[in-house]
Amino acid sequence: MQRYLFHQIVSAAVSMILVLILAGCAPEAEKPLEEVNYRLKWLYNISVVGDLYALDSGLFSKHGLAVNVKPGGPEKDAIKELELGHAQFGVASADQVIRAVSKGSPIVVIAQLFQINPLHWIFRPDKTPLKTPQDLKGLTIGITHGGNDETIMRALLAKYGIQESEVNLFSVRYDYTPFYQGKVDLWPLYRNAQAPIIGAKLQKAGERFDLMDPSRLGIRLVANSVVTTRKMLEERRETVEKFIEALLQGWQEALDPANTDKAIDLVLKYNKETPEEIVRQQLAATRVLMMPSANFEFGTIDTAAWQQTEDIMLAQKLIPVRVYVEKLLKPIKEW
Amino acid sequence: MLHRRIYQFLMIYFIGFAALMLVKYSLNLSDYVIPSLSEIWITCRRYFGLYLLAVINTLSVAILGHILSICMATVVGIIGRLTIWIGSFIRVAAYNIQAYPIVAVAPIIFILLGDGLSSRLLIAAMICYFPLLLSIIGVLSEPVTEIEHFFESTRRMNWKLQVKIRAFENTHKLITVIVGSATLAMVGTIVAEFIAANAGIGYSIRIALYQSDLAKILVALFLIGICTSVYLVFLEWLGIIIKRHIGSV
Repeated sequence: MQRYLFHQIVSAAVSMILVLILAGCAPEAEKPLEEVNYRLKWLYNISVVGDLYALDSGLFSKHGLAVNVKPGGPEKDAIKELELGHAQFGVASADQVIRAVSKGSPIVVIAQLFQINPLHWIFRPDKTPLKTPQDLKGLTIGITHGGNDETIMRALLAKYGIQESEVNLFSVRYDYTPFYQGKVDLWPLYRNAQAPIIGAKLQKAGERFDLMDPSRLGIRLVANSVVTTRKMLEERRETVEKFIEALLQGWQEALDPANTDKAIDLVLKYNKETPEEIVRQQLAATRVLMMPSANFEFGTIDTAAWQQTEDIMLAQKLIPVRVYVEKLLKPIKEW
Repeated sequence: MLHRRIYQFLMIYFIGFAALMLVKYSLNLSDYVIPSLSEIWITCRRYFGLYLLAVINTLSVAILGHILSICMATVVGIIGRLTIWIGSFIRVAAYNIQAYPIVAVAPIIFILLGDGLSSRLLIAAMICYFPLLLSIIGVLSEPVTEIEHFFESTRRMNWKLQVKIRAFENTHKLITVIVGSATLAMVGTIVAEFIAANAGIGYSIRIALYQSDLAKILVALFLIGICTSVYLVFLEWLGIIIKRHIGSV
């Protein structure tokens, strides 16, 4: 009886050791992927090409993550979803981040996507020769009341000492008819997403167009950045690191000229409505806005631009008090 | 009646408000997600007057749109009650057009009419017009056999008399539909303003959404609710007077 019991104990111990050894030898890929949600700022278009690239090329899964990349939209707010726990990562513009933090939202910025804000103003140089900011005087300028473009334009006017009474601010929506009809001289649009489409229409009508870039005039309001919660960064730092590494690699590869065709195919896979030729132009424009120089490290956080964004918002009373934005910037990848 | 409508609205509003606060404090959410009581109060004090004017602006357009849609629905309903092909055609067209979402049609309207009053009016009318039309067609195409039979057998029946008989016999139904469609007119105007107009509470809500300012939206919702309730009470009162008048006739 005792021998039987001894045999039973020994065989159970051997089995357990074998199981432990086999588990240790199991390949890394067989470990279950860690699931996280990533809320984009806008619908699937060229501005999310790197996010889609990281997903489609399996970069997230190589880093042990199963990322649900969710499209954004006008009614979706990544910061609110982070707080509610519906997402672990998101994309938000700097003004959204600063506004949220000023109201106590516990979020941090872990990478900056656009180095130049894509918000530009389109105009017809033949009709509206714009050589210096002072040439804005007397023009009808489109702005979206409450939008980013209003903040940028008001900052621009203030910087160059132009009174608002010296320009005619025109409230704009999705419909470009007032610009096509010439009722509005400058119309706000996203350089990488909309400018190729509107530009093509103007060229088809035999008209020349140009773009006014506020960053060249000294107004550098930061656009899309990747955000997460402070808690996530403190408690799941490894996950944050894996996520950002995969994401930035995805962006770097998507914007690499060698991968142009692959990146275009990817955008067309998720967004079938935009013609390939337009996507090609959009990709080139996106590259300029996100990778200002050849050796630029994608995702770099431009602290000075963030501080300027905060100064502008404070001056325009969009936030009641300073939030000291530099405290929110937590680059995961040190450059 | 006014008191009943107002306190019903206040009850619903404050139940929703309390639920929002419960979520905020139980999940410890920041003021960015759900504003605090003090922030809502400050916003209310700062924007109450401005938003009240915006709601009155919206309500005036909604009332005009509502009147327009009642007139349109009556005219089309009278033609639509016919059993000949034109009546059938109008009924089918009404059902089909109703299926189009206004957000898809609105940009076309704004291209054609601009972003002024006419577009807001038309969209408000369109949103409350189809339910009205369908009800009016339903009422006017349903014969009141026991009364109509008499006039038909004495060969005194004409279209005006037929419409009068059917409307008279269904007064209660028509008034209910008209009162019910008033809220749709308000919703239609707000949607129009949200999409493209430069005035009204829909436009203010749009700006507040751009700024992620839920406090402003809560103030706007409160004022929309109060003003719509007052308009509904007015319509119900008008309905009672009409019914009394008909009863005395």
